[in-house]
Amino acid sequence: MLTADLIRPRLRVRGDTLHVELLSPENRHWQASATDLIDLFQKLSGHTSGEWETAVEQLEGERLDYVVLRGLAKVLSDGATWVTRSSPLPPADLRRLVFGRGPVLDEADLFHPQSRAMLLQDIAAELGTDIITLERSLFADLASESVLAEVGPAWTPESLITRYNLELTRGVLYWARLMEVEIYDGYQDFWRYLKLFKLMFEAKPYQGGYGVTLDGPISPFVSTTTRYGRQFAAFLPALLLGERWQMRATVKSPFSDDWLRYELNSTSPLTSHFKRSGEFDSRMEADFAAEFIEKFGEGRGQWQLSREDEVLLLEDTVMIPDFAFTHQKDGRRALLEIMGFWHPDYLRRKLAKVRAAGRSDLILLVYEGVNLTAEQLTDVPGEVLYFKNKPVLKDVMALVERIAK
Amino acid sequence: MSHERSLYFQGGTLVINGVGASEAMPEVFRWVKGHWRCEAYHYARLRPMLTGLDIQDTVPRWQTIDLHLHDTREPHEYQLAALSAWEQAGQQGSIVLPTGAGKTFVAIHAIHNVKRSALVVAPTLDLLHQWYARLVNAFQMEVGVYYGAEKIVHPLTVTTYHSAGDLIAHQGNNFKLVIYDEVHHLPAPSWGETALMTPAPLRLGLTATYPEAHEQSDGRWQIDELIGPIVYEVPINDLTGQQLAEYRTERIRIDLTEPERTAYETDYAIYAGFFRARNLRRTHGKNWLMELMRLSAFDAEARRALLARQRILRLLAGAEGKFAILDSLLREYSHEQTLIFTENNTVAYAIARRHLIPVITHETSADERKHILEAYQLGEYRAIVTSRVLNEGVDVPEAKVAIVLGGTASAREYIQRLGRVLRKVGNRQAVLFEVIARQTTEEGKAQRRKPRRIAHAHR
Repeated sequence: MLTADLIRPRLRVRGDTLHVELLSPENRHWQASATDLIDLFQKLSGHTSGEWETAVEQLEGERLDYVVLRGLAKVLSDGATWVTRSSPLPPADLRRLVFGRGPVLDEADLFHPQSRAMLLQDIAAELGTDIITLERSLFADLASESVLAEVGPAWTPESLITRYNLELTRGVLYWARLMEVEIYDGYQDFWRYLKLFKLMFEAKPYQGGYGVTLDGPISPFVSTTTRYGRQFAAFLPALLLGERWQMRATVKSPFSDDWLRYELNSTSPLTSHFKRSGEFDSRMEADFAAEFIEKFGEGRGQWQLSREDEVLLLEDTVMIPDFAFTHQKDGRRALLEIMGFWHPDYLRRKLAKVRAAGRSDLILLVYEGVNLTAEQLTDVPGEVLYFKNKPVLKDVMALVERIAK
Repeated sequence: MSHERSLYFQGGTLVINGVGASEAMPEVFRWVKGHWRCEAYHYARLRPMLTGLDIQDTVPRWQTIDLHLHDTREPHEYQLAALSAWEQAGQQGSIVLPTGAGKTFVAIHAIHNVKRSALVVAPTLDLLHQWYARLVNAFQMEVGVYYGAEKIVHPLTVTTYHSAGDLIAHQGNNFKLVIYDEVHHLPAPSWGETALMTPAPLRLGLTATYPEAHEQSDGRWQIDELIGPIVYEVPINDLTGQQLAEYRTERIRIDLTEPERTAYETDYAIYAGFFRARNLRRTHGKNWLMELMRLSAFDAEARRALLARQRILRLLAGAEGKFAILDSLLREYSHEQTLIFTENNTVAYAIARRHLIPVITHETSADERKHILEAYQLGEYRAIVTSRVLNEGVDVPEAKVAIVLGGTASAREYIQRLGRVLRKVGNRQAVLFEVIARQTTEEGKAQRRKPRRIAHAHR
């Protein structure tokens, strides 16, 4: 991610809204700059971080757009792998050894008979290495001495500029105290990443989707806190995975004490580099869906199958059932959750959520192999169906017919 | 989502599990997102109420530590009185101690008496490093450090106000005692927020200057509310005096080499030319540099001038003549403990490599820094080089010779260096060398400073 000093100069205030000056990927000047940096970066493979910084400074020269250059350079640097050079001893220990024998003067004299070269030669010999390695290893643990081991993704000027734009867009959120979003799809990924970045939420159904407010534990008590800005910024690419969404953040102005509005929605050309969750979480789900499509697909049956299209809001967490059945004519719905995994923690968490959801229109499809007995499931409000090897679709549909609301 | 009634710690708040909205809870709690929640600092007050409310306390994750005090100095009467007052106040509150009255010693005894996981919060990195060294020596055990470059958490840990927020958010309930050094910084918005988030029931604030009531209001936090009241103030006349050394200063002027001189004059023309043309000192007074930086974002000439200034500073800091003088001084005072101060890290590392002497910069780990300073005190290292100005309140090791390379420091820093670097070592007079480049901006600045003798400070 970019540092604050690389983001602030790209921010503009218009009235009470904050805007980011993004780069146009078609712009020749930026394409040329991106190309120069990508080429330079590749040339510096095997060189140190300090040398990269110096090279970028030289490229900057007296250019006024140095903030953008440094931002592009940071994206390149962040996407690469840097390693510490190996050394005969850990650098800190090496320093103790070498400095313990110093100081040396520029020229040997009566009181300092050993010259620098002689002393280092002696130590190198003791360690079974040579002077050059010794000198290089002395401060190998400094950040500026780390070595570019892998250049990272194969950047094109367009891809670098686009990623830079994403980093700018998310960086604005460093100064946010609150984020409000409306989402209409991609629920599984949205909540998974929310949890990953330790954000708290409050959600309500909204126009076929959900309206979600994001903040952190201390927000209700210190409404002006921007403590969670980094987490909002880290989270943003998850929002970009959805197909339709809007976001409004309340952000502290970098230029005054005012609070400003920062808006973004799914029409944005930015793309996310986050991984989407797989098409199906398990073989069982995939097989179930495949069988349904085979028997009732193409509108042959009364019911339509959809995946994860309803979020059950449970105070400080959510449950997103695997499937939903919607009647083609009267719109009745039933939900289905497959319990296919044996691990006790998984089962405990899932069951706790099912109970908390308290939905009588939720069917639990339980694989006999997971060892969940009927007693453990007596207080589950919906219906429970067991299967040995494969769910019996006929039985499932009969149940759906019975309990759909 | 289980139905056990319990209180747990979450990101700087306390949350009650298993209790519904209809059941009244103590006033500090608010119903948010399906649970009763409050700021973590209320924990001390809530702790005794929990059994009566039939709520299990799952907050504490601190440990009992078997501490042995290796610091055998006898506490002063006033230090014992301060500690006793703090105990009587339920181990919550602040002690006001003048500078030099041994607040670290008081803190060490407080930690020793409590014998539980403790966190010390310091305002600067220099102080963090100092606390680290003193705690390691006092207890002869591992001490954690938590700040930008190092995040090592142990039952005894030192952090900064800047980094404490993150540590507390994740591990606040790992500490039973929190000590706020220079607690007069606490009212600041983000730093007070950290205290708000800390569940530690035992709190000690230390300062020489407790802020007035009006300095703790109007959007700023209140120390009394977050830590506790002042429990003891140490009167000044209880303390004994201490004398600082008399020392002499010598200013050594070096010449730039020919290539250095050419480069300097070229860049100086660019920089000074711009300065005069825009008359920045008249228009912006002492904020001229900020204005120059602001302009350089969109004004090509300003950018040229700023870059020229940066090149000048780098050139002067690393002028070859300064290295030559340094070498001759190291030769001349080859049996004296010597401290070398540089303008920037690059020069510090260059000197370390050239003369094979230890170096301390902001990148040096707490452990290595402690080792270097202690080995230096014992005479195992004769000289050390640092790019940091060792700031207010930090112990500077004893030296007979101090060499300051560069006259670009501001007057205040320079005088601080003078006042703190040199301690009386027996009867011997210490000496401070200031090495500057002739006919450059360094010379102008050095002449502007009026040398002041700092005789002694009665405390």
